[in-house]
Amino acid sequence: MSSKHPIGIDLEDLARQDALTRRAKSALSYFVLGLFVLISVGPILYVISPAFRESKSLFSYPPQWLPNSFYLGNFKFLLTETNYIRWGINTLIFATSVTLISLVIDTLAGYAFARMNFPGKKLLFGCILATLMVPTAALLAPTYLLVRNLDRWTFGLIGLDTFGGLIIPMTVSPLGVFMMRQFIETLPKGLYEAARIDGASEWRIFTKIVLPLMKPAVVVLGIFVFMQQWANFLWPLVITTKDETRVLTVGIATLQGQFVTNWGVIAAATLMTIAPIIMVFLFFQRWFVQASVAGALKQ
Amino acid sequence: MSQTDQNKVLIDWQELSLSDEEFRRARSRYKLRGLIPVMGFLGPFLLLWTVFLAIPMLWSIWLSFNTGGLIDEAKFVGFDNWSRMLSNDELVRSLKNTAIYVVIAILTVFSLALTIAGLLNSNKRGQNFFKVALYFPLLVPPIMAGMIFFFLTHYDMGIINLVLQATNHEKLNFLGDNPNALLTIVSLEVWRGLGFWVLFFLAGLQSIPSDLIDAAKIDGAGSVRRFRKISLPTLRPLLLFAVIIALIFNFQLFDSVQVLTKGGPVLGTTSVVWFIYKRLFAFQDIGLAYATSVGLLIVVVVLTVAAYGFLGKRSEN
Repeated sequence: MSSKHPIGIDLEDLARQDALTRRAKSALSYFVLGLFVLISVGPILYVISPAFRESKSLFSYPPQWLPNSFYLGNFKFLLTETNYIRWGINTLIFATSVTLISLVIDTLAGYAFARMNFPGKKLLFGCILATLMVPTAALLAPTYLLVRNLDRWTFGLIGLDTFGGLIIPMTVSPLGVFMMRQFIETLPKGLYEAARIDGASEWRIFTKIVLPLMKPAVVVLGIFVFMQQWANFLWPLVITTKDETRVLTVGIATLQGQFVTNWGVIAAATLMTIAPIIMVFLFFQRWFVQASVAGALKQ
Repeated sequence: MSQTDQNKVLIDWQELSLSDEEFRRARSRYKLRGLIPVMGFLGPFLLLWTVFLAIPMLWSIWLSFNTGGLIDEAKFVGFDNWSRMLSNDELVRSLKNTAIYVVIAILTVFSLALTIAGLLNSNKRGQNFFKVALYFPLLVPPIMAGMIFFFLTHYDMGIINLVLQATNHEKLNFLGDNPNALLTIVSLEVWRGLGFWVLFFLAGLQSIPSDLIDAAKIDGAGSVRRFRKISLPTLRPLLLFAVIIALIFNFQLFDSVQVLTKGGPVLGTTSVVWFIYKRLFAFQDIGLAYATSVGLLIVVVVLTVAAYGFLGKRSEN
């Protein structure tokens, strides 16, 4: 039943071949993609194994993939012998406070740059833009000295080993202002101008018109900032020396120094720290994905 | 009658009009009053930005001409720190390590991410699953990623070496040997960053108008050719921007070094930020740390201005 083309090409055969190569190609693509999924997820999953085993069995030969017993000693040690819970609470306080404060100041400043006119606006925005990516690392010394000196001026509110000293310097993110300004500029101007003509104050326009429309941008920036501070290591390492203000990243790093041989505890700590964020991620994955690209792509 | 009417209007007008002096005062009062809401909106950010960014930036420049200051009094030493920078072996080594790391990491992660983004873009089924799965490493803070890598690459307990041993291969010294240690750190950062760049490039690829691709398909261009002749040129501006951003991010290499190698073995993995940190808080040659910080600062600001200046020009075109 094959339909011969006038020149003699078997069209059906050609189509069949085409379908075959396409299927082979897509099979190969999915194989490669699967390989990368394995590389991405595998190491995280593997940590489950040492977390439920006694540290000395980690060196056992031949290698053990699955724990043969459900050993909970590592978790027990972590919860009773270390300040893990305190570090966890501190991390939550730290990351949440930075997120909330920077959301407020960034949306306000973003609105000012997007919708208000004042002398020197362009110059000021240019200056802020130039500092967009200045890392904590480059300002480590002066910021450390500043926080140490501020102790006296702020009556101990911002100082070494205080939550103020830990939180406040991290709330300054020009990137957040930039993102908020870009977002507000995409909002329709008509609404804003109509409210303005009706005599609404800037504050009223901001709270009644702009803010309700900004929900997606606020969520995206919020996740972005929270994830950044949740993972922050250098600043907490420098500014805190006591368990009262120490966060998880620094705490677990000290654990590594103290118990070099106790790898099971470290695996348990790692697992316990990333499990909650993975849960949250699975619920709100769409927002997370947007947040990670937004930082760089929202222009 | 008409005369008096006119007079009346004139008198009213004069009463209403302001003298130059009055006008100037009223204008500035009006302008000032306009500034009050601006300061209300901008004030909180501006205050924090000035105190914790602008002042430390200027301060760090001043510090770079000083030494001491963390435990003792700062001492002015002029250009001494700057002139000693290039003769310090550890700093030169740190710069070299950071440069090698940055180049290898960016090349690897970009080529992998572009490939995966290309595959995801042409294989739509299950795209969301792959996006989510590749995102997982991003959720792991670099410190925890370092711990995870211990369980893979530790000489005695790392699963890779255990498997090598079980299959009668020689064990690899991932962290205790050069240049292995630096390469292990590169692979950690590639592992952690891959998902981000896949999402980044996928967003870029999806913004390419599909009729462009369809036209090329009809003309008989294969997928590799389409990628090279259409996707890559359209992505080029985005790619340049991405390179600059990645440079800025990767210049800050610190966390994984601190966890995995502490700069060793024999300075094999010292990075610029690690160098700064160690000088500052091991209290050795603080002046050099000050000067190096300013160097890093200048690099970051120049790169930022370049990236966004470039991007601004692109959106104008």
